Amino acid sequence: MMNDFDQLQAQDTVYALAAGPGGIVFAGRASGLYRSSDGGASWQDAYQSLKPEQALVTTAVVIAADGSVFAGVNGGVLRSSDGGFAWFAASLGSPPPLVTALAISPHFEVDGTMLAGTAEDGVFFSTDRGQHWISSNFRLIDLNVYSLALSPDFARDQTALVGTETGLFRSTNGGRAWRSIPFPDEAGPVLSLAISPNFARDGRVFAGTESAGLFTSTDRGDTWAQIAADNLTRAVNQMAFAGERLWLLLDDDLLRSDDLGASWQSATPPAADGPMWMALTVLPGERGHVLVGSGSGDILRAG
Amino acid sequence: MRIKRTPGLVFQPQTHHALRSGIHQFASAIRPTLGPIARTVAIDQIVKPGATPEVLDSGGVIARRIIELADSNQDVGAMLMRALVCRQHDLVGDGAATTAVLFQAIYNQGLRYLAAGGNATRLRAALDRALPVILSELDRMTFFVEGKERLGHIAQSICHDADMAALMGEIFDIIGEHGQLDIRQDQGRGLRRDYVEGAYWNGGLFSRAMVADAAAGRTDFENAALFLCDFEVKEARDLFPIFEAAIDANVGALVIVIRSLSDQAMSLVVAANKPEKLKVMAVKLPGLNPVDRQAALEDLAVLTGATPLLTAAGDQTRGTTPAHFGRARRVWADLRNFGILSGRGNPRALRQHLLNLEENFRRTSDPDLRAKLQPRIGRLWGGSATLWVGGSTKLEIEARKAVAERTAGTLRAAVREGVLPGGGMALLNCRSALDTLRPDDADERAAYRTLHEALAEPARAIFENAGYDASEVLAKLSFEPSNCGFDVLSGQVVDVCEAGILDSAAVLKSAVRSAVTTASLALSIDVLVHHRKPEAMSQPG
Repeated sequence: MMNDFDQLQAQDTVYALAAGPGGIVFAGRASGLYRSSDGGASWQDAYQSLKPEQALVTTAVVIAADGSVFAGVNGGVLRSSDGGFAWFAASLGSPPPLVTALAISPHFEVDGTMLAGTAEDGVFFSTDRGQHWISSNFRLIDLNVYSLALSPDFARDQTALVGTETGLFRSTNGGRAWRSIPFPDEAGPVLSLAISPNFARDGRVFAGTESAGLFTSTDRGDTWAQIAADNLTRAVNQMAFAGERLWLLLDDDLLRSDDLGASWQSATPPAADGPMWMALTVLPGERGHVLVGSGSGDILRAG
Repeated sequence: MRIKRTPGLVFQPQTHHALRSGIHQFASAIRPTLGPIARTVAIDQIVKPGATPEVLDSGGVIARRIIELADSNQDVGAMLMRALVCRQHDLVGDGAATTAVLFQAIYNQGLRYLAAGGNATRLRAALDRALPVILSELDRMTFFVEGKERLGHIAQSICHDADMAALMGEIFDIIGEHGQLDIRQDQGRGLRRDYVEGAYWNGGLFSRAMVADAAAGRTDFENAALFLCDFEVKEARDLFPIFEAAIDANVGALVIVIRSLSDQAMSLVVAANKPEKLKVMAVKLPGLNPVDRQAALEDLAVLTGATPLLTAAGDQTRGTTPAHFGRARRVWADLRNFGILSGRGNPRALRQHLLNLEENFRRTSDPDLRAKLQPRIGRLWGGSATLWVGGSTKLEIEARKAVAERTAGTLRAAVREGVLPGGGMALLNCRSALDTLRPDDADERAAYRTLHEALAEPARAIFENAGYDASEVLAKLSFEPSNCGFDVLSGQVVDVCEAGILDSAAVLKSAVRSAVTTASLALSIDVLVHHRKPEAMSQPG
């Protein structure tokens, strides 16, 4: 088996990671998308069948419950229904938007709903498993999207959150329209979002910012409080829940909390010359482990 | 109808009798329209006598059609109520019947106190003092709703048209309280809606020669630069600095938003449009007066990040630099409108600008200013909707469009200012707040008693209109918790909020405010004065 990962050049930034069952992991990089079937130990070029003339910078990747894989690139979303071997492209229109975030409905198998956030063109949504996308920016007055999150109870509450350059927006109609929600003016951009698995009960949301650390809300985003901690003063690049455990990826640190942010433990993997961590994914079935990717191209297991 | 007026003075007790009778006649014409199982009122055609009568179920429209009562003394009472009801209809689009019913009830209750020797002026002052108690109780009960289903429920209570209500619920769930909604007549028989993303303004291309896609009748630019000014350009050479700045900035597509262009200047814009080098189009700056033009320039500048050049500031095109240009991912224009998608202005500045506009909207009660601010906010929110209203006949389409407009106005107010328990329950529940007050003053006590009785009257009218014994239903409700009301459609006592029986808070508060203040004024009227008037043909108001 050819291992393209070894051939990657240095500085091949890891923008996004997504893990599925059975050790399947995808890594979206500056040079394209890579697939691992052994939990990140070895990697293959997932775009081999596409034979792109230029590197397809892949800035977002997600795996649906039915195994479909979606990759965000400049101008569109690629989808694969055979585990990342054959790909179909769906355009987001012209001028081509750069996809910065993808989110899949927890009930994707039934509703086929996905949202895509873009760098300059706001949010797009699809209700046919990513085949067609429609711009969905009613009342989204900041179109520079950095992060997206859907409620675990999306089928019922239709709630989605978008983190932008200037703050946060919430939709309660499945992403058809947005409403700005109060967030400290100086705190944006909002780089990452995580919604509690018990959102229907606890209404808890976390928002990670570039310059003001971590914020939390316990009322579905209506009000926000900053989490004061010495090690939470840097950019919060990524967040992910693994059950009740919350993982937090800072520029140079990986933190975990088992008490919804009340206390944090460092779990940073040892890495050479202090990389800037940019991508995070929870390995399913391995509650204690995550994969992290860096701006310089490293992908490491941590836990 | 020609009515002869006799000049003269009318004193008590005829004044009260006449006013009461006029108010009674007018209210009786509107009262049947209150509630979800409303009855209708047939009105002779004024303009075409003998034509099929109009069948109406809107209290506001019925009020407009009643122009005069035959008895000039009674007419004073009727016209007092007419002015009140029409104002309510014009301001908030609904609640005309509630206003009429409340007004009549307060007036009748008040008269009883005056007949027993009460003082009208003191009663009026006491009523005015009691009004804030009711309004603050309504404020306490007000809550906000989201979601197309719940908004659809409110729409249903206004338009009584399930298809229209469902669409209205969806539309306002998407566009929000300030969103642009155009309601237009359609060729088809049903209803349909379109959504358009981005902001658009009236003010299209200056010339048909600027239309790039003849089939679609429009021009689309991607990654365009926008030049904004309020100039009237007569000399073509005045445009050269704009083109030079665009070339300096390596702009591929340029949109000039300008007040006017001479034929010569227009020709230059057409000639300068070289798709392989620099695409150019010019569109009219929106606004019929300097204030509107200034507002449009402000909004466009914030949305795109442009720095507009202004005549009043002494600016000229020769000062144009690339820094003056705004940017947008897409700009489109046809011969009537132009629109912008994904303006590249500073999002923080846009947020602040919108906050300022929304604050101005909240602070003002001037309907004209609100009518100007609302579309500005809606545009900058980045989307609009069109509801197409069809029907079998022109008359039906017009009537349905009018209902849609009324529903949209009320629903907008409900989204903006919240909702209250419907079916008359919010007003019924206000009575408990009055019951807690124990004034020593007899006039205060009379005012509270008057309002206590009157606040039950809208619920009573809703039950009666639906064919129920109102006293029986009210007695049944008195044993139920305050969140329960009577659903006249199912005939069951239900949790009104859970059942989606909701009223617009803005409409209800306006109805209460108007009814109390006007009824208290009417109670203080002691003398009627009739002037000699020339005989005149009555005209619809």
